[in-house]
Amino acid sequence: MSTNKTYTVPTYAAFGWLTFSTFLAVFGPLLPVESFRTIHGDFLDAKPFTAGHWFGVDSNGYDIFSGIINGARLSLFVAFITVGIGGFIGSLLGITAAYYRGRYDSIVNTAFNVVLAVPNLVLALALVAVLATNVDINEAVPTWRRLATLMISLTVVIIPILGRIARASALTWSGREFVVAARSMGMRDRHIIWRHIVPNVLPVLIAVGFLAVGVVIIAEASLSLLGVGIPDGASWGGMIARGRNDLEYNPHALYFPIIALALTVISTNHLGDVLRGRLDRREARL
Amino acid sequence: MRATYFLQRLSQLLIVIFCVTFGCSLLLQLIPVSPAEILLPVGSPEERALLTKEIGLDRGPIGYYVKWLSEFVRGDFGDIYYSGGREAVSSRLVVAFPRSLWLMLYTQIVALAAAIALGVWSAYRVGRRADKVISNVLFVFSSIPGFAIALVLVLIIGVRLQWLPTLDYQPYSAGVWEHFKHMIMPVLSLSVGLIASYTRLLRADMIATLREDYITMAASKGLSDRRILWRHAFRPSSVTLFTSAALNMGGLIGGAIVIETIFATYGVGFEVFAAISGRQYIALQSLVGLISIFYVVFNVIVDFAVGFVDPRTRDRRVNK
Repeated sequence: MSTNKTYTVPTYAAFGWLTFSTFLAVFGPLLPVESFRTIHGDFLDAKPFTAGHWFGVDSNGYDIFSGIINGARLSLFVAFITVGIGGFIGSLLGITAAYYRGRYDSIVNTAFNVVLAVPNLVLALALVAVLATNVDINEAVPTWRRLATLMISLTVVIIPILGRIARASALTWSGREFVVAARSMGMRDRHIIWRHIVPNVLPVLIAVGFLAVGVVIIAEASLSLLGVGIPDGASWGGMIARGRNDLEYNPHALYFPIIALALTVISTNHLGDVLRGRLDRREARL
Repeated sequence: MRATYFLQRLSQLLIVIFCVTFGCSLLLQLIPVSPAEILLPVGSPEERALLTKEIGLDRGPIGYYVKWLSEFVRGDFGDIYYSGGREAVSSRLVVAFPRSLWLMLYTQIVALAAAIALGVWSAYRVGRRADKVISNVLFVFSSIPGFAIALVLVLIIGVRLQWLPTLDYQPYSAGVWEHFKHMIMPVLSLSVGLIASYTRLLRADMIATLREDYITMAASKGLSDRRILWRHAFRPSSVTLFTSAALNMGGLIGGAIVIETIFATYGVGFEVFAAISGRQYIALQSLVGLISIFYVVFNVIVDFAVGFVDPRTRDRRVNK
């Protein structure tokens, strides 16, 4: 195996796809594309490559191309924000636990194990169910609150996954000579963690963070399929859920969001792998 | 040393189970409305008060938990309430549990069989074209979520070709082929992702094992490649694989929610979903408790089984 070739064609492709979809996510509303909520009554069930509707139209009259662009915004937004916040809280807990050890460590570790003992989706579903309960149970929950509950639930799912990685990695580093040396020189704990441990743990966390983005995108889509995600088909998962009702006569309404979602997850997983591989090689040289 | 380790693991297990179930019962206290109001939307205040008392919600968080726990260990998992009646969760589980169990079992068998074949083959041909093709194809498939594979299968095999039924579950007593016909697509969609991750684990361990001296020794004795691969290299390389397979059991029993919903298999995962969407919080608490118990118990069994199969790991664990 070639060891010096770090970036291959798939890596560029993955990076390119992620950049492209992030671009769509950020600048989507500015592009000259009609809103994903516009109903094209004359084009119901239009096949792909119809003029004006590249990806076709679904049986409700929604243009799939606009849906994909808008879905990029919500799917990626939810994924990056939850992994960001979850990763921050998780690594804060994990790194401090590994550094201070003792009872604090065992409490944090048990808490991680408790959350990990419940399957991802069950946990997210239960949290969504409880957090989205209105005082008046007959009143519909507003969209922003559904989005917020969804993100909080997914964050809770991410915290122990990344926290555990951070803890394991910080454990190996906090025993190294330079940390002991820093401690014996009287450096403050806060500074040791910030200067010596965080920079070493961070690359691993970023690599695993990419994998976590994939996990969140899939979890969000699964929740949409179960009918508790973001409503109105606004995310890729929501489009899949809507396309599922009509898969016999209008399969492209299902194919396009699945392809977009799969490409994104393949890209994040691949980049996570490449980063991890580079770290392992760096470790091996030390 | 072994006894203390055993006790330590056992206490960890009990703590985790306690925290999960207690956390669930706290969730019940967190919802802003009285659960009785949700369970009996059309009941009179007296009926609701009676129900609150019966569930034990008038005893405060701890009193409620104690009552729930004492019924849970006796096999009473609470009731599911719907308009005009109620049904015991345990009577629904009697139906749902075997379905999930079969689904989990077939998925594991398919995934392990495929992963062992592919993993051993790609480790044997490491760096060659076969290895690269297997790794890349599996990588792509591992990134495609199970529900996407399920929907595409439904579309092509179920709707277009009409080879297999797309919905429902048939018990074994309805005929062997009937039973398997309804299982093929759910099992396939669940196992594709697992095949990829299992193959990866086995391949990595297998490559490391094949570099060991005793393998060179076996080869120099003139043993055939096949014998070396299966007799000498496979067993010591399979520990991580079987550990990870066993750890997936709990998740597969309760976590296959989406697949069970798509194919209307209605196993434990679907019961969880039904409990959540029907706001049956007491049923939810019991189900989540059961699933986490499964997860933790498998975890510990694996720990000991691995120590049994591979004594090297036993020492490592004790020293940690």
